[in-house]
Amino acid sequence: MSRYGRTGQLIRLAFRRDRFRILMWIIILAALMASVAWKFEDIYGTQSEIAAIKGTLASPGIVAMFGAFSFKGKVTTAEIFANEMLLFMALIQVVMNLALSVHATRGEEDLGITELVRSHAVGTDAPLAAAAWELVIVNGLLGILYSVGLTAANMPGASLEGNWLIGIGLAATGLLFGFLGLLMAQIADHSASATGLAYTLFGISYLARMITDVQHPRLTWWSPLGWVEKLAPYNDANWMPVWLSLATALILFGLAVMANNRRDLGAGALTTRPGKSRASAFLRGPLSLLWRRQRNVIIAWILAVIIFGIAYGTVFNTIGDILKTNPTMQQVFGAAMVHEANHKVLLSFTSLLAVVMAAVATIPGIQLILKAHTDETRGWLEAVYARPVSRTRLFFSYVGPAFLTSTLAYIGGLGGIVVMGDASLDHVKDGISAHEFWQGIAGQLPEIWVFLGIAVLLVGCWPRIKTFTWLYLALGFVSVYMGSLLKLPDWVKNVTPAGWMPRIPQHAVNWTTFSWMIGLAIVLVIVGWLGYRRRDLQMR
Amino acid sequence: MATQPILQIHQLQKKFGRFQALKDITFSVNAGEVFGFIGPNGAGKSTTIRVLLGLIRATGGSATIFGQDVWHDSVTIHQRLAYVPGDVYLWPNLTGGEIIDLLLKMNGTAHSDKTDALIKQFGLDPTKKARTYSKGNRQKVALIAAFSQDADFYIFDEPTSGLDPLNERVFQEAVLDLKQRGKAVLLSSHILSEVERMCDRIGIIREGQIIETGSLAEMRHLTRTMVTVTLGDDFDVTTLPGVHGVTAGHQAHEWQFAVEDSQLATIMATLAQHQVMALQSTPPTLEDLFMHYYTGKE
Repeated sequence: MSRYGRTGQLIRLAFRRDRFRILMWIIILAALMASVAWKFEDIYGTQSEIAAIKGTLASPGIVAMFGAFSFKGKVTTAEIFANEMLLFMALIQVVMNLALSVHATRGEEDLGITELVRSHAVGTDAPLAAAAWELVIVNGLLGILYSVGLTAANMPGASLEGNWLIGIGLAATGLLFGFLGLLMAQIADHSASATGLAYTLFGISYLARMITDVQHPRLTWWSPLGWVEKLAPYNDANWMPVWLSLATALILFGLAVMANNRRDLGAGALTTRPGKSRASAFLRGPLSLLWRRQRNVIIAWILAVIIFGIAYGTVFNTIGDILKTNPTMQQVFGAAMVHEANHKVLLSFTSLLAVVMAAVATIPGIQLILKAHTDETRGWLEAVYARPVSRTRLFFSYVGPAFLTSTLAYIGGLGGIVVMGDASLDHVKDGISAHEFWQGIAGQLPEIWVFLGIAVLLVGCWPRIKTFTWLYLALGFVSVYMGSLLKLPDWVKNVTPAGWMPRIPQHAVNWTTFSWMIGLAIVLVIVGWLGYRRRDLQMR
Repeated sequence: MATQPILQIHQLQKKFGRFQALKDITFSVNAGEVFGFIGPNGAGKSTTIRVLLGLIRATGGSATIFGQDVWHDSVTIHQRLAYVPGDVYLWPNLTGGEIIDLLLKMNGTAHSDKTDALIKQFGLDPTKKARTYSKGNRQKVALIAAFSQDADFYIFDEPTSGLDPLNERVFQEAVLDLKQRGKAVLLSSHILSEVERMCDRIGIIREGQIIETGSLAEMRHLTRTMVTVTLGDDFDVTTLPGVHGVTAGHQAHEWQFAVEDSQLATIMATLAQHQVMALQSTPPTLEDLFMHYYTGKE
C-alpha cells in the first residue's frame, strides 16, 4: 500500500464533508471581488476621481492598512482597484484557508475520525494529501472565478494578463497559508493550538508587511503576505510573487509530510504534559472552569491585540508628519498650521484603526459566547448541569468573561496605538490626547457590546444559526473599513451596529446613540438569557 | 421518608418536533432500592434521564425527585443527586484529578480520603490530561466523582460500557454499598447480567413506553421455564398441555421445551411417571425476558 493510497477517495469525502462551508466561502469571496470590480468604474471612472483617490492611497495611513503600491504614468481605474482590493482579499482568503486546513486535518483527528479512516486500507499520508488537494482545488477554483469575474467586469485599464495574475496570485497566497495551516496541524497536538500557531505567524507576516510598507516598501518582499502587493497586475505585471508563493507552499507541504511521518496519530511535536493530580483551590465552579480552560486563549488575544496596536503606533511618526511628504508646507502655512494638520491626519488614522481594533477585539468575545453552545453539544456541560449549578450562573460564566475580554482587548489595542504612537512622535502635541483616547473607547464599545449581544441572543434562543454572528460581524467590518473607499451608500453601513456611531475620535461621541446602543445590548443579553433558561439543552 | 418514593414519574411525555420520543413513562424508585432501567438503543432511556436532570423539558406528565419538580427545582434537587452520563465527555485540557475535584466542589463537597481510595480502586492516573483518556478512563472520572459524593439519589446511564471486568466489579460493589446505606439508585444498562445481579426492581422501556415494571421474580411468572429432560421410555412430550417449542435433544429420549409457569406442577407430575433420568430446569434469564418483550410475544 503506497503512502498516498486512496487519496482520491478521501478528497471526494472531504468535499462532501465540507461542501457547505466551501460553497459559502467561494460564493462570498467571488461575489465580493466581482461586484466591487463591476461597480468600480462608477466609483473611480473619471480622471479627477482617480487623481483624488490616488493621493489618499499614497498617504502613509492608508498604506499601512492597504499596502504600498507604486503608480507609474497615467493611473487607471483598474490600478486603483488592485490597490484597494488585493491585500484585503488576500486577508480574507488566508482566514478561509487556515479555517479549512486545520478543520480538515487536526480537527478530524481530534474527533477520532482520522483514526477510523487510517484503520482502513488508506495510506499514512493520504488524509494529509487529501486536505492539501482540497485546498488546491478550492483556491484554484476561486482564482479562476476571480479572473473570469474581473474579465467580465472589464474595468478601464484592466488587461487579460492582469486579471489572471490577480486570480492566480490570490490563489497562490491562499495556498501558501493553507499549507502553513497543514504544517501547524502536525506540530500542535489539537486544533485550537494549531489555529493559534498559524494565526500567530499570519499576524507576524501582516505586521511585517505593514511596518515595511510604511517605511521601506522594498523590504516588504520579506513578508509572504507582502508578495501579493508586488503583483502590480495592471501597470507592471510581475509573476515572481506567484512562483515564490507556490514554492513556499510546496516546502511547507514537504515539512508537513515529514512531521506527519514522524509523529504518532493523535500526538503532535508539542506534546501534552501530565498535570496536577488535584485541582487548585481556585478551580471551583463554572466561572473558574472557563478561566482555567480558556485563560491562555484570553490572555493571548488581549496581548495580541495590544501588540497589534503597538505595531500600528510605530508608524505614527511617518504618518503624522506632513512635512515628510510636503516639505514646503511649513514655509507657506507656518508651524502651528502644520501641527494642526498633523493632528488631523493622526485623528483620521486612529479612527480607521479603531474600527479594525473593535472588530478584532469582538472576535474573542464572540468565540467565548458561542463556546457556551459548542461545549453543550460536545457533552462537556452534562456533568456540570447535573450539579446544583443554575443555567443562569452557567450562562453568565460564559457571557461575563466574553464581554470583559472584548472590552479589555479593545481598550488595550487602542491604548497600544495611542501610547506607542504618541511616544514615537517628535512633537507629542500632534498626537492623540487622553480625552480623544477615551472618546475613542466610548465610541466603539457600544458596537462591540451589541455584536456580543447578538451572539448571546442566538446562543440563548436559536443556537443552530449562531454562525450568523460571524457573517454579521464581517459585514459590519467590511462596510465600515471599505465603505468610504468603495463609496458604499449609507444604508449599507447602517445595516450593522458598526455604522451607527460616527467615526471616533475624528468626530465626537454622540451620547444619545451611545445610550440606546448600550440599552439594545442589554436587551439582547436579557432575551438570550431568558431563552437559554427555557430551551432544551442539546446533547450528543 | 421511607414510604415516599425518591423518584416519581407519572405519564411522562416528550416530543422533539413531530417525533414522540417518550409516550408514557410511569415508574418510581424508592430509598434503599436499585432500579434497573433497560431497553434497546433509541427506546428513550437517555431522554428520560435528561428530563429527570432538567436538561430538557417534558411536554406532558410529571416527574419529581425528593417530591420536587425536576424542571423548576433542578438546582435544589441536584444538591442531593449524583449522575454519571453514558458518554462521558471531559474538558480536554484539564487532568482527571482536577475534573474530579471540580465536580465535587460544584456540589459543595471536597476531595476526601474516600476519593483517594476510589482513585486507587478504579486504577485511574489522575495526572493525565482528559484528552489522553480512553472511554473507560473517562467513565472512571465520572464514577469516582459520583461515588465520592454523599448524595441520596444516584443516576447511572450505562456506566460500565467501557470498563474492564475488574472495574465493573468495583462499580457493582460500590452500588451495593449505596443500597445498604439506604440510597436510591437508577441504573440504566445494557449489561443484563449486571442488572440481574444488582437490581431490586426493573423497568423495561420500548419505543418511549414503559411496558413492564416489577421485580425479576415477578416478571419470571409472566414467561416460561426452560426444561431439559431425559426420559426412560418413548413418551412423546408434545402431547403435554402448556408446552412450547419442543425440540429433540442430542440423545434418544432427551427433550427440550418451555413450560408456562402455571402448568409446571402438572407437567412435573406427568413426567415423573416416565422414569426421569435427568432433569434440568432453568428459570428465564433477564435476557430471555428482554427478548420476550422485544421480539414479539413468543
